[in-house]
Amino acid sequence: MTTIILIKSVEQEQTVREVLGSVIEQDEPVYFLRLPSVRCLGPLIQEINPMIQYNVDYSIGCLTEGDNVSELVQFAVEKNANRICVGISERTLTGKARIDDLTESILLHEKISGNLIVGEHVIILEDLAYD
Amino acid sequence: MLRIEFQTPVAGITSKLFELELPIKSLEIDNALPVAGDSVFLFLTVRFDTEVTPEQFAGQLTDIELVEMQPTQVNSHTYYLGLITGFCHASILSLLTKNHAIPHRIVGKHAYLEIIASVRDWNHLKTVASAIENEHGSLELMGTTQTDSIGFPLGSNKIKQSVSGKLSDEQLELLETSYRMGYFRVPQEVTAAEIASELDISRSTLSERLRRVEHNFCELLFGPQE
Repeated sequence: MTTIILIKSVEQEQTVREVLGSVIEQDEPVYFLRLPSVRCLGPLIQEINPMIQYNVDYSIGCLTEGDNVSELVQFAVEKNANRICVGISERTLTGKARIDDLTESILLHEKISGNLIVGEHVIILEDLAYD
Repeated sequence: MLRIEFQTPVAGITSKLFELELPIKSLEIDNALPVAGDSVFLFLTVRFDTEVTPEQFAGQLTDIELVEMQPTQVNSHTYYLGLITGFCHASILSLLTKNHAIPHRIVGKHAYLEIIASVRDWNHLKTVASAIENEHGSLELMGTTQTDSIGFPLGSNKIKQSVSGKLSDEQLELLETSYRMGYFRVPQEVTAAEIASELDISRSTLSERLRRVEHNFCELLFGPQE
């Protein structure tokens, strides 16, 4: 199972910890894919220490400026990703996970489908299929 | 099952209502019942900018029959309306139900509808979103959560309907904010000062308003105080 964690901000420590701690199995490959607006993942990775604390093998990638969603889907197809995890940055007044423009574009993208699970700090798209 | 919250431009009857010469601040579809043929009974709570008479309102309607118009007890310029119109005009409701989504709340503000509905899963969400986008022009997803139960479908939350006529919008907002932030949990998850800050009121005002809400609740349950 290959998992992509989309990093929208370096303040997504809880999101990453939830994914590494309760979503993926040990030894599963993980890609930290950062948006171009996120300059550096160093401090976040150092704080979480995925290899030592969670025993996961990870790689880091970056989306370029432009159509992030198409690029993300292309990246997911290339890596044959089974899972994409998107952080929840805030909740609506009624307690629902707030969906930002990027997450909306992923959810409504015609070439990607699967199961949607809403966690505490992360929206998990899994059992992905690509058209 | 997923509970979704989204916005879409008004269409059909909601669009017609917002285009009336009597300006509407907000509306909520409380219930809908099918009538023989292709018509539907729609029950709405509508807040106008000014006081409106049934004659004034009915005089502006086309393709819509006004059956009932009653002012609410506590909110000024706000009325419960019963209307009959073609089911095709109840656009958002027909789109949701045709696509087997369960509507929970439909509120219209500033030419936009804010909707809470339940769908089976991600694929169902995409189907429903696509149908609404085609008919209404656009759709913006606001939030989602997972749920095991259907919850209260549109029109079935009788307690809330009863209470909404007895409490003002401000009181309901105060109550909902306090509830959502965990004020009524044991132990409390938020202090009165934090809620007061969220609502931009003083702590003493918050305390007074909460007591008024509690008083109105008691009145609703036990009748007027002797």
